[in-house]
Amino acid sequence: MNNIKNIEDYLLDYISPDDALLFEANMILNSELANDVKHQENTYAVIRQYGRQKIKAEIMAAQEKLIVAPEHQGFLQRIANLFKKD
Amino acid sequence: MNNNRLSTIELREAFFIELYKKAFLPVARYVSRMGGSIEEAQDIFQDTLVIYYEKVVSAEAEITVNEKAYLMGISKKLWLQHFKANCKNQPLDDLDMESVADQQLASGKILHYLKTAGKKCMELLHAYYYDRLPATDVTVLFGYSGTHSATVAKYKCLEKVRETVKQHSLYYADFIE
Repeated sequence: MNNIKNIEDYLLDYISPDDALLFEANMILNSELANDVKHQENTYAVIRQYGRQKIKAEIMAAQEKLIVAPEHQGFLQRIANLFKKD
Repeated sequence: MNNNRLSTIELREAFFIELYKKAFLPVARYVSRMGGSIEEAQDIFQDTLVIYYEKVVSAEAEITVNEKAYLMGISKKLWLQHFKANCKNQPLDDLDMESVADQQLASGKILHYLKTAGKKCMELLHAYYYDRLPATDVTVLFGYSGTHSATVAKYKCLEKVRETVKQHSLYYADFIE
């Protein structure tokens, strides 16, 4: 777990610039560590992609709710009018 | 911004509906003026809200004084990107949060695998790293006995997902595009 946490501290900038420099020196000397860093960075990216898909689904659901609400029909009509072809 | 404000799906829904009411009309007007369709306006606005949500929950976020103008600014940038790319459903690019890894990753196989095989871990990691919920909220949300247990679980999950990412990056030549 220490390896995971140390890499996280480095990647998410939780450590001082001096410690980051030391960490980078370690990466040069230890190719296994360098690989772990690369994979952990990719892991955060995957989590973000997962998060974006989920939040976009929530946004689309909110939009759907707005579309069906009777009290917002005037608002939506104004938007639809913007795209009417003359 | 207090993340508790957006810690549940209901709170987020109210937040997004409010933003639609506040800024969708001017964004749609802009897209219309630029020759876009209502579907494109919706796509642009949805991506705008994703970016704005990430800003709001990030620790570095500054308080946005004029929310409407800020959303409009993001939408305009996205429209220009969309226009340049000249293709619909262009994946959301990072405006402020660039990372080389993020650009390189293909979303398909690995994410599909994790959504099924590692859903519980993905949910936990999502709460920590994407929604950026405080450890106390995550503890309650996932039923851990304390923040220490939740933190240990987070690192275990991160290790598990990292191993999966590692394996898939070896198996799939198209993982890194």
